[in-house]
Amino acid sequence: MAVVSAQQVTGERSAGGFWAWLMAPERRGPLLVTPALLVLFVMNIFPLLWSFGLSFFNYRANRQTVPTFEGLQFYQRVLTDENVWERFQTTAIIVGSSVLVQLIVGFLLALMFARSFPLRRILLMLVLTPMMLSFVSVGVFFKLYYEPTFGLVSWALNHFMDERFVLLATPAGAIAGIVFADAWMWSPFVMLLVLAGLVSVPKYLYEAAEIDRASWWRRFSTITFPYIKSLLLLAVLFRTIETFKLFDIVYIITEGGPGSATETIAVYVYRQAFQFFRTSQSAALAYIILFVVIVLTNLYLYAVQRREQEVT
Amino acid sequence: MASGQAGWANDPAVGERGDAVVILAELRVQGLTKRYGQVQAVRGIDLEVASGEFFVLLGPSAAGKTTTLRAIAGLERPDTGRIIMAGRDLTTTPVQGRGMAMIFQTFALYPHLSVRANFAYPLRRKGVASREIDRKVAAIAAQLRIAHTLERKPGTLSGGEQQRLAIGRALVQEPALLLLDEPLTNLDAKLRHDTRAEFKRLHRELGMTMVYATPDQLEALSMGERIAVLREGLVVQTGTPDELYLRPQNSYVATMVGAPPMNLVPATVQAGPPAPVIDLPFLRLSPPQAPAALEPGAELLVGIRPHDLTPALDDRPGPRFLARVQLTEPLGDVTVLDLAAGGQILKMVLPEAEALAYGVGKELPVRLVSEHAHLFDRASGQALI
Repeated sequence: MAVVSAQQVTGERSAGGFWAWLMAPERRGPLLVTPALLVLFVMNIFPLLWSFGLSFFNYRANRQTVPTFEGLQFYQRVLTDENVWERFQTTAIIVGSSVLVQLIVGFLLALMFARSFPLRRILLMLVLTPMMLSFVSVGVFFKLYYEPTFGLVSWALNHFMDERFVLLATPAGAIAGIVFADAWMWSPFVMLLVLAGLVSVPKYLYEAAEIDRASWWRRFSTITFPYIKSLLLLAVLFRTIETFKLFDIVYIITEGGPGSATETIAVYVYRQAFQFFRTSQSAALAYIILFVVIVLTNLYLYAVQRREQEVT
Repeated sequence: MASGQAGWANDPAVGERGDAVVILAELRVQGLTKRYGQVQAVRGIDLEVASGEFFVLLGPSAAGKTTTLRAIAGLERPDTGRIIMAGRDLTTTPVQGRGMAMIFQTFALYPHLSVRANFAYPLRRKGVASREIDRKVAAIAAQLRIAHTLERKPGTLSGGEQQRLAIGRALVQEPALLLLDEPLTNLDAKLRHDTRAEFKRLHRELGMTMVYATPDQLEALSMGERIAVLREGLVVQTGTPDELYLRPQNSYVATMVGAPPMNLVPATVQAGPPAPVIDLPFLRLSPPQAPAALEPGAELLVGIRPHDLTPALDDRPGPRFLARVQLTEPLGDVTVLDLAAGGQILKMVLPEAEALAYGVGKELPVRLVSEHAHLFDRASGQALI
């Protein structure tokens, strides 16, 4: 009490009072959250709303003219643009094949790592490494890997071919190159999820099945698979959404080429926004993409929930 | 039992007829050992189980019961020793080829399959028509009184229903040998009682060889035709329930079998004219007959069943001593009294009505039915008579 009264006497009352008011226990929680919320608002929420607004105005980021309200005109333009649909198709092909490869490879890796063998821990760490690399380094890595003059792929294949092998020169080759890079990076993620499911299967079920004389396939389909089913779905969900937004790897390896063969929807939006400065149009397209992703997410969530109800 | 015949039964006829086909399945386990890392789980177990016998492995946890069962089933490869069934050496035969079924402590029901599919699981393989499977499943489900649950998942069944599903899934295979690994441990007391009766009935009806592991002496005594008492990976004694109860070969079996457990009192043999006497802390006993081992100075454990102690209310002759009641445990029809005498605690069982007279702290004269007393060497625990 003596200290407080001393402060009051020396006139520090208002400063100390505000500090005390601010640090009061009931205000401490909100106070700690405020900086994060501010950053989130300035960096995310405000641009999100602002760009949503821009998609209704005729606005170009490199011109100083006053934007005019255009209504849904840009949405109409985007949806009727053949280029956009082509990019969606490209994206779908890349997403479909990449997620499929990730599922297969991740699943096989998980089956392998579910049993114990020498050097398992070290191998597991190595296998998980790609997932921890940044997109840019993976992109650069594969760009050099596919490089026609000194890249490993072309160098190896040139032993068997007369012509110089250029993987990224054909549309199919370029797509395969991107799918391979993306699958290389993200198969370990699928493996982790599946591994978690495999480890959760009680051992005694396999023993019971052995005594019941079940074949390997029946043991897998009736015991293992039901335990990893929902996790597999979750893996598909995560990977589809992530791959749908694939930008970095594509931009670094092919920049969308040859022509527009590997131009995913994300790369297309980037080009529209920052190379052609069609700001409003790209904002409209970005919102359409957001809508697609939300629909996809809900589809999968619905599926996951239904599975869980089946299990219990 | 009527149509004794070797080979597989074609018709389970569970519950429909009493005369199940007897499958030759006498089992011999010879010199079984198994080590897990630093732990020697089984140190050399020999068992002989007759065809059609209900054989119990009794022992506390870590005695090697489960390891022995798993080795018989083929889930563990023994380090040394042989598993022989019906004259055939199965030691290296894979699990699937042994013609055995096993009921696990956890029941090991397939959680994602319906009850019907769980029952049918062991049957679904090449050469079994689905109509045949349906018929067998329906029959066994009806017999075990869970026909109404066939379309449900095991997780929605009660403990008793899950247990019966596990039993049914084992029986539907018509195994030559049924292994049961503590199947009652996960059930509540009432269900245990019912299921014990169920196992006995099934054994009588099916005439199948059963090897049953349990840590509970009550289960062993009530169901087993013969019991092997296991301790730290070795068989201590094998015999019928009566043999184990009346003639335990050592103090371990004596305390393992019977409830409440036998009182063991340290004693020494005193040379006394005319014959040596056994000197207990609270009593002097003259041995019924004098075994050679009873030399003066020998250190003994005297085993006294709680039922062999009674209040000495009349003047009949016989060894008697004064004891003080320390604790009473009413169990309903009987009461267990903890008596203090000569620094020892002895358990005595009395009918409930009689026990009411003896409250805690009361002193009473106690008579010992000394001809039922067991004598063990104190160092080795071996029985002396």
